Amino acid sequence: MTKLEAKNLQVSFGNVAVITGLNLSIPEGSITALMGPSGSGKSTLLRVFNRLIELYPEAHVGGYVYLDGQDIFEIDVIELRRRVQMIFQIPNPIPNLSIFENVALGLKLNRLAKNRKELYQRVKTALEKAQLWDEVKDRLNAPAGKLSGGQQQRLCVARSLAFEPEVLLADEPTANLDPENTAKIEALLLDLKKEMTIVLVTHFPQQAARISDYVAFLYKGQIVERGPTKDIFTKPRHELTEKYVTGRLY
Amino acid sequence: MTSTRKVLNWIGMGLFVLLGVAATIPLFLIIIDIYSKGIDAINRLGGLWHFLTSEPPSPLSKSGGVGPPLIGTLYMTALGAIGGFALGFPLGVYIGEMRREKLANAARVGVNVLVEFPTITIGLFVYAVMGLVQDDLNRYILGPVSATLKAALGNSVFYNYVSWFVGPLDSFNAYAGAAALALVMIPYVALITASAYASVAQPLREAAYGIGGREFNALFIVMRKVVSRAVLTAALIGTAKIAGETAPLLFTAFGNNYYAPFTGSTGAVSLWIYAASETPYNVQIMSAYGAAAVLLTIILILFISARIKAIHD
Repeated sequence: MTKLEAKNLQVSFGNVAVITGLNLSIPEGSITALMGPSGSGKSTLLRVFNRLIELYPEAHVGGYVYLDGQDIFEIDVIELRRRVQMIFQIPNPIPNLSIFENVALGLKLNRLAKNRKELYQRVKTALEKAQLWDEVKDRLNAPAGKLSGGQQQRLCVARSLAFEPEVLLADEPTANLDPENTAKIEALLLDLKKEMTIVLVTHFPQQAARISDYVAFLYKGQIVERGPTKDIFTKPRHELTEKYVTGRLY
Repeated sequence: MTSTRKVLNWIGMGLFVLLGVAATIPLFLIIIDIYSKGIDAINRLGGLWHFLTSEPPSPLSKSGGVGPPLIGTLYMTALGAIGGFALGFPLGVYIGEMRREKLANAARVGVNVLVEFPTITIGLFVYAVMGLVQDDLNRYILGPVSATLKAALGNSVFYNYVSWFVGPLDSFNAYAGAAALALVMIPYVALITASAYASVAQPLREAAYGIGGREFNALFIVMRKVVSRAVLTAALIGTAKIAGETAPLLFTAFGNNYYAPFTGSTGAVSLWIYAASETPYNVQIMSAYGAAAVLLTIILILFISARIKAIHD
């Protein structure tokens, strides 16, 4: 089943074309890794999927993206962002808000919890799923800025999970973390793919090899090659892909 | 060579320290002068509580205070701060967030000009507007409202209280004063808010839109929480700024030495200082020093709480 599909997608910032006629389908319930050198359009592509691209006034988007066969530009943006959540390269909890409030705020603003009890329950569930609950359950009112980098990133995962999204976009979520925390996030993503579709942007071919089911290799705003992870790494069809996975293109 | 460089370094640093001290000397001289004379005056005019509650001294009396002007200052400052913040904050968000819109740029330039405006012109403007709207406002809105209130409440004590706040306006009144103060405060709040919003890192902005849902929530709730410190500082410093303003009140509140309804001319501490210090009567000049100490205390409390909040976080 295809969850997300991009058809002839084009994105430009001013005069600079970043994505030039990209076609990609992302299967449901899997981890699809987007790999590619800097400036190949990976992060931009993610920001199209939840329309955060619209925060950049100079960005111009053409083509189509479908979520469950529905044009995302015709879905209400609020509903879209609830269904398609995102975690970022730099952990970005609201630093002066408490741990609890960081997860609860989105639920409150979107009126997703009927009462305080349900709110608490959903926050707790989200923190549990993000494997952070045991570390923070005694200090839910502490400011989020006091958490370590790895904990902050898992808090951001919890914040996204609280929405019970269908798709989780992860924009190099471990780029700023140490190996131990990286392992935790990777384990978490593997666990989460049972419930949702994950699109992972990564700079590390090894990471894609470890946890993804499919890999799409981007170069200069186009998909060079897409396939099951194993095939991409063992028998890449394209020369550029081979160069990249062997560390000769970056 | 090294020693020459060290000596030059000492001389340079010494000059900077000297300049730093020189800059703070006037500040402390003013504070010390006002408090030493002010506290003495307050004691001689009947003690602190008496000073804070009683009417200003007449030329031949021996005691008095700043009761009515103080109430006027507190009332007008509170209203002005609420109005100034209510308009200045969203304006600042607009200027800070919608940097690419032409109108936002025009607004930014306008606000930068407004912040440098002589505040007396703002007072004049409100005075002129008041002259234009006063009759119609009283005839069609405030008159009927106050008549309705009177009919509903009768001639009770409660109606007497209400009529201090609501009723047909004189050409000088507390609301005109508050409006002038709000206009003075708007650009301060807008500029601090705009720079705070503009400095929010892009990842936090994206997070705000990701979790906020509609744009209003993202901008005014999630991102406000990110910059809450700066916004609070903006509010406190803006309030401190208008609490001590005199010029905008000259044509709007006018000043009043007696407890009187806010719908008519209203006193303010700063206006009393101005009026009293011009008289030849010692007792009134003394009360001006006392009033200055009271005003300075209000402003220092606002400033210091803004500082403490900033350090505490």
